[in-house]
Amino acid sequence: MDEYRLRVRIYAGVVLTVFLILGVRLAQLQLTGTDGASVAATNAVRERPVEAARGAIYGRDGTLLADNRPSYTIMLTPRYFDPSKVPLLADLLEVPDTTVQRKLEEAREWSAFRPSRAFRGVSFETFSRVQEHKYELPGVSHEIEPRRRYHTKAHATHALGYVREIGNATLSRLKAKGYRPGDYIGKTGLEKSYESSLRGERGSEFVLVNVRGTEVMPYRNGRQNEPPVGGYDLHLALDHQVQALAESLFVGKRGAAVALDPDNGEIISFVSKPDFPPSLFSRSVSDAAWDSLQSARTDPLYNRATRSGFPPGSTWKPFMSLVALETGQITKHEKLDCPAGYRIGRRVFKNHGGQDEGMISVRKAIEVSCNTFFYKLMDEMDLDTWHKWAKEFGFGQKVPLDIGEQASGMIPDSSYFDRAYGRWTQGYTINLGIGQGDMSATPLQLARYAAALGNGGTLVSPHFVRKMVHPQTGTVRRPDVPPADHIPIDSAHFETVQQGMHRVMTDGTGRWVQIPGIKSAGKTGTAQNPHGKDHSLFIMFAPYDDPEIAIAVAIENAGYGATAAAPIASLMAEQYLNGEIADEWMRQHWIQRMRDSVRSAPPKGFGGGVPDSTEAPVSPPVDRVDTETPSDPPSDTVSTAAATSRRNE
Amino acid sequence: MRSWKQNLDAWTLLTWVALVAIGLLALYSTTHGPAAEYLSQGVRDNFYRQLMWGGLSTIGIGIVLLLPVRVLRTLAYPIYGVTLLLLVLALIFGVEVHGTKAWLALGPLRLQVSEFAKVGTVLAVAQLLSERHTHATENLSYALKAAGLIVVPALLIVLQNDLGTALVFFGLVPIMLFWSELPIPVILLLISPAIAGYLALLSMPAAIGFALVFTLGLWWMSGQRVIGALAATFTGGVTAIVSFVLTKILQPYQVDRLLSFTNPGAEQFRQGVGFHLVQSKAAVTSGGLWGMGFMQGTQTQGAYVPEQTTDFIFSVIAEEFGFVGAIIVLGLLATLLLRLVKLGSDVKHPFGSIVAAGAVGVYLLHIFINVGMVTGILPVIGLPLPFLSYGGSAMLANTALLAIVLNTHMRRDDLSIYGY
Repeated sequence: MDEYRLRVRIYAGVVLTVFLILGVRLAQLQLTGTDGASVAATNAVRERPVEAARGAIYGRDGTLLADNRPSYTIMLTPRYFDPSKVPLLADLLEVPDTTVQRKLEEAREWSAFRPSRAFRGVSFETFSRVQEHKYELPGVSHEIEPRRRYHTKAHATHALGYVREIGNATLSRLKAKGYRPGDYIGKTGLEKSYESSLRGERGSEFVLVNVRGTEVMPYRNGRQNEPPVGGYDLHLALDHQVQALAESLFVGKRGAAVALDPDNGEIISFVSKPDFPPSLFSRSVSDAAWDSLQSARTDPLYNRATRSGFPPGSTWKPFMSLVALETGQITKHEKLDCPAGYRIGRRVFKNHGGQDEGMISVRKAIEVSCNTFFYKLMDEMDLDTWHKWAKEFGFGQKVPLDIGEQASGMIPDSSYFDRAYGRWTQGYTINLGIGQGDMSATPLQLARYAAALGNGGTLVSPHFVRKMVHPQTGTVRRPDVPPADHIPIDSAHFETVQQGMHRVMTDGTGRWVQIPGIKSAGKTGTAQNPHGKDHSLFIMFAPYDDPEIAIAVAIENAGYGATAAAPIASLMAEQYLNGEIADEWMRQHWIQRMRDSVRSAPPKGFGGGVPDSTEAPVSPPVDRVDTETPSDPPSDTVSTAAATSRRNE
Repeated sequence: MRSWKQNLDAWTLLTWVALVAIGLLALYSTTHGPAAEYLSQGVRDNFYRQLMWGGLSTIGIGIVLLLPVRVLRTLAYPIYGVTLLLLVLALIFGVEVHGTKAWLALGPLRLQVSEFAKVGTVLAVAQLLSERHTHATENLSYALKAAGLIVVPALLIVLQNDLGTALVFFGLVPIMLFWSELPIPVILLLISPAIAGYLALLSMPAAIGFALVFTLGLWWMSGQRVIGALAATFTGGVTAIVSFVLTKILQPYQVDRLLSFTNPGAEQFRQGVGFHLVQSKAAVTSGGLWGMGFMQGTQTQGAYVPEQTTDFIFSVIAEEFGFVGAIIVLGLLATLLLRLVKLGSDVKHPFGSIVAAGAVGVYLLHIFINVGMVTGILPVIGLPLPFLSYGGSAMLANTALLAIVLNTHMRRDDLSIYGY
């Protein structure tokens, strides 16, 4: 029996030993082991970025211009996808089986194990249908990303800019800032320049992924999640109604319009046409659509308001008058001759239409836009004085602005002519007196100039953004707007010139575009152009006594300033000041005319286009100044305009 | 005379209930966790099936407890015979699941007959060894007969390609013989090849060292040269055979595969055998002291551990309930087994004690191989954890065995009438 007891004890001992071994092993793994936990964490837990809501964009009166909507993307992980489910998925997505097959192959080429974005921007209904069948569809997952949504009729494409998936080059540059492949980033306009404020901070969500790659539940009930921090909302000075009106008036035209508040430089309207709806990029834009945008000869991506240099034409005359008054070349009441032609050497520079106005004051010269009057001023003015004052008005240099690329325009000095022509005479520069010849200015520069004319010499810094407000915290950031410059010209001289410009609106070329009930001042410009029809320009400010809006409009190949640019500027000012366009025959007539018949003609050399057709092939703008080139004016960028002007002398 | 009902061991029953309940809890977590919507309905229903099996097992306990021991002894051989027949039928008509032809389909039910074969075998061996009237002289012949009773179903199960279950049968040989009053050196001799083989797989010097120490030790213990020579032959022979097989017969990749459990993380095993082990160890490890919480285990909810409701159910417990929970489960199992050893020893009649020894042996082998596999000290051998793993046949068979032990203990006074 002792033997029997011993056996029982041995047996019990064996049992205990086995459990002891297992217990020790468990303790070894669970109390001291660490590597297993990391295996568990790396295979089962996936960190999923949660995109911060990009800041919204509001207009002048608080109108929402752009915010975000969710965009649904269906992702495929080929390794876990069951090929027999292709028809089911195709059914749910309402696409042919072959499409799913193709996406699956594309996904496999990229990675068999990682989810790839196969169907972007599917509708909420489609997304929900796929969700309902999730457990039948291993290897199918989804992603919800915020996309831009636009709320008004106004495009304001070149002001707002657009967001697009980040490119490889940008990505490698910005990796340190936390950008990842597939992120969206502001590519142009405000979206680009305020990227860091709009973007916010990405959050993280930790989800448990099952062995088939399907995300099944939040990890640790979401305790480790870091919520995203939304971006700042932009509050712009842009008036969406003025903007929408201006855009509608630009039908079939190439050009730009910029409207500023002369008191502070806030941009009320910013038009560059042709354009495209910025929402184009918030859908997943197909490569074909993108290519068509880029290759369109009208170049909708090109920002004419800041990058097109126009010869300012007669809009330049207020500048000439101010300089002549300030330098004492003339006085307010002094009368100069306005003959039909002005002779320099053997060449005669003519008045438009060849009329002779006799002896006139500077105000009258502005009103009737007398070329010979200003030829004389230019003839007697030193080129470098002219150059210095043009710089004082902000020409020939980039304008402080809170968006994008700019051309500096071109304001020549004597060294330019030395370089370009070697031996040159007054005959080469005389055209500069009437805003023609070897010079150019951007619509933005012209608008700033118009504002300075209106406010009596303050050169404001144009800007879109009034403030940035964080929607959650309410924190307000103000943009850094450079202080305005003062143009050292006696305000009495400004008054004189303003009076001349007022007369343009009452008795001169602008008399047909007066704003009903509001005094205003303006100046038309018609820039001659070798590639076709003249460019139509107009600058104005209103109300006359205390200007609230200053506008410059430049339209390529549309004829006289009074034909195209002036009505548009005047209607924009009326809309801004009165909130509507008066129901008068004349005003409604202008709207109709702008929308129905006034068009940019195709430039010479591209023949075959029908002027009225918006599809007409057109050249790039006259005087495209590449921003990549140094600001020192390269002669070839302006040579076309310069050459013509001389031929048309 | 005490009523036999009062002899029913309530502790064993309570432990059984606790284990079954924990198994159901773990199964519920895997089938009704937050990720359940990604599981097919069939998998989700496994919980309710197991609940049903638990209920059937409870009824089964009641039925077995009602049977007089005499009936059990009488039926031992017929039951054994029927299970052998079922094994043969399974080989011929069986349904193949995971490459194993161990399942007989009875209408909607699928029975894994090898599970029931364990019960039949334990009963038959107990019956055989308890028929002896004399000691010592007949010991060896009875031992060989008993070994034969075990080896026949084991071979049939090998033919079914269910090596794991077959291993349990082979493991029963020394355990049952140990109880059959064979001299301890002989028992040790019979176990030694297994230990030598295991060591030889891991490390040749360790195996050689073991062979030397074992041979000398046994020689010294028994004082018989024959035993020493046999010990040397068994341990040295197995070591030599394993070494020969590893180096000469198997291709290197096959060796790797066999040894994958020692290094499951290696690249070549990631998707295969190693995957089970890496994921299972990861689950156990990430449980830590207190566990990740019910329905919170990432490995469990992500279904990373293959067969986590059946063979790897312990990884679910270890991950979600941590070291504390896993130790409680091991503690319950140890309590149950030690209790059964005690119950067996209480029964003076050899039938009762050998049935108890057999049951404990079956459970112990399952637990050791299963938990050893889950924690990565043993190769992946498909064996369920008794009372915890999902699976109706195993649940029924293991519970029936338990009930038989309880019954023989309860009616031990009846048995003594049939005593020597």
